[in-house]
Amino acid sequence: MEEMFSIFVSMVPVTLAQSLILSFAVLAVMIPFRILAFADLTAEGAYPLGGAACAVAMLAGIPAYLAVLIAFAVGTLAGLATAFIHLKFRIHTLLAGILVTTMLYSINLRLLGRPNVPLFRETKLFDYVSFGPQTANLSRIVLVGVLVVLVLIALSYWFRTERGIAMRAVGDNPDMAEAQGNNVNRAIYLGVGTASGFAAFCGSLMVQSQSFVDVNMGLGLLINALAALMIGETILGRRSIGRQLAAPFLGSIIYYQLISLCLAAGLAPSDLKIATGAFVLLMLGLPILRKQGRGERLAADKVRE
Amino acid sequence: MLRIENARRTFFAGTPDEKVALDGLTFSLDRGDFAIVIGSNGAGKSTMLNAISGALMLDSGTIEIAGDNVTRMPVHQRARHVARVFQDPMKGTAAGMTIAENMLLAELRQSRARLRPGLTTARKARYREQLSYLKLGLEDRLDTQVSLLSGGQRQSLSLIMAVMGEPDLLLLDEHTAALDPRTAALVLGATLRAVEALKLTTLMVSHNMQHAVDYGNRILMLDHGKLKLDITGDEKRASTVASLTDHFSVKTDRMLLGG
Ligand SMILES: Nc1ncnc2c1ncn2[C@@H]1O[C@H](COP(=O)(O)OP(=O)(O)OP(=O)(O)O)[C@@H](O)[C@H]1O
Ligand SMILES: [Mg+2]
Repeated sequence: MEEMFSIFVSMVPVTLAQSLILSFAVLAVMIPFRILAFADLTAEGAYPLGGAACAVAMLAGIPAYLAVLIAFAVGTLAGLATAFIHLKFRIHTLLAGILVTTMLYSINLRLLGRPNVPLFRETKLFDYVSFGPQTANLSRIVLVGVLVVLVLIALSYWFRTERGIAMRAVGDNPDMAEAQGNNVNRAIYLGVGTASGFAAFCGSLMVQSQSFVDVNMGLGLLINALAALMIGETILGRRSIGRQLAAPFLGSIIYYQLISLCLAAGLAPSDLKIATGAFVLLMLGLPILRKQGRGERLAADKVRE
Repeated sequence: MLRIENARRTFFAGTPDEKVALDGLTFSLDRGDFAIVIGSNGAGKSTMLNAISGALMLDSGTIEIAGDNVTRMPVHQRARHVARVFQDPMKGTAAGMTIAENMLLAELRQSRARLRPGLTTARKARYREQLSYLKLGLEDRLDTQVSLLSGGQRQSLSLIMAVMGEPDLLLLDEHTAALDPRTAALVLGATLRAVEALKLTTLMVSHNMQHAVDYGNRILMLDHGKLKLDITGDEKRASTVASLTDHFSVKTDRMLLGG
């Protein structure tokens, strides 16, 4: 017990650094899903895409801070592709995301040339904020922490501007938003594109943090992000846009510490996915079970996405 | 203000289910006209409003609003001219957003949403005043989510939102039909006051003949996608429920005779 606890404590800083980076992927899942009512899987492909784009750029000698911006831009294109497939061909959003993610796998492999590429010599973003030897986690936490705060401030401002409020209306009631003069398609392109940009940005930070890129690094990202989002929303609620925006970040921080606790307690890493899956299922299913418990009838055609 | 010429729209064309919903519909409204639209179920009233708002494109014909040919314009561009309240109170508002946010969306209907703070203190004060005319106490609940309001409150909010910015054309599709009689009377009263005060050009669909007799300056009767009657001026003032139902019964007799 004591040993488990000391392992967990020793892992807190590295887990915190990881969870701050991954919180951008949770944000990338939250924006389409919660704000645009557009269930989107593109994050799972955009994340390794961002990693690959960043690695390729850095290997070509482009500085790290430009490489993450390139990753963001390339990720945005992936999101735009998903939105286009859905809006143009009326293909379900989930299928559109799967199509793009599938195609991105080949693209990522092409970009990298092989499945796994190390980034040892290149100067990482985190090297710019070094606090001396043995403080790698601290510089990650500080740098990404600052990025998180900046993004949170920017998004809470944006979603309270006229255009941000209009975008939220598109997700809430598209017919009404359109009748009030808003171009629904444009809002979806903007929202889904930006979200995938954040997923790719997240991938580029992760690649720099771990000093390598792997085409399979996106595997399971989505389910982890969903679990983190559920935790954040359970704690903060979704009553205001501020809470909705903070939920991915808080959720990510708590979720990855819980995972670390499970590992410290001796859970095999290979068993984590079933635990995470069961957790997401429970969070999504709980409100329904509660309703059934109260004897409310559910509409037969009401299926959760 | 509104000119519809030879509007045609057929559903399921070329199939056994073919249904001509608008069949060469032609009429126009002058600025300030308040027309009550009547007609039996399936006459094409909702289809006509959908065609005007842009929710439905015509197969042929033209629609002009305020001198603008809008025939091929998408809904969000026509929003500059047109505001609408639906029968279903859920349709006209964004449930997950607050009353103030919904009103902001309505205010922005005629302009472009910009990258500046939405709910300023000045705006909220204005919304509070506009809501106070409803006397429902909504003015004290600006930051309440619309999903928490009753159907009647939501429909009243939809109405206030629709008349914000004095649209060139106001479309009301049986907008009190889903409400209980007392709430329906309240929403109708608010509608009449707003249309009167702002001199809004209005099309109001109703199945209530008494409303057609009592309100507005014109009665349009639709039948099988055509304009069957256009009653204005002295004739409108002289119309009674009996004289209107006569027109319905003529049709029914003919239907009974198999004509
Ligand atoms: N989207 C649609 N697809 C197929 N048919 C439609 C559609 N909308 C309307 N129709 C058909 O067009 C005809 C006119 O319908 P519409 O809804 O305009 O009638 P209405 O006058 O509004 O009737 P009500 O008084 O019942 O509301 C009906 O026969 C209807 O079945
Ligand atoms: Mg109708």
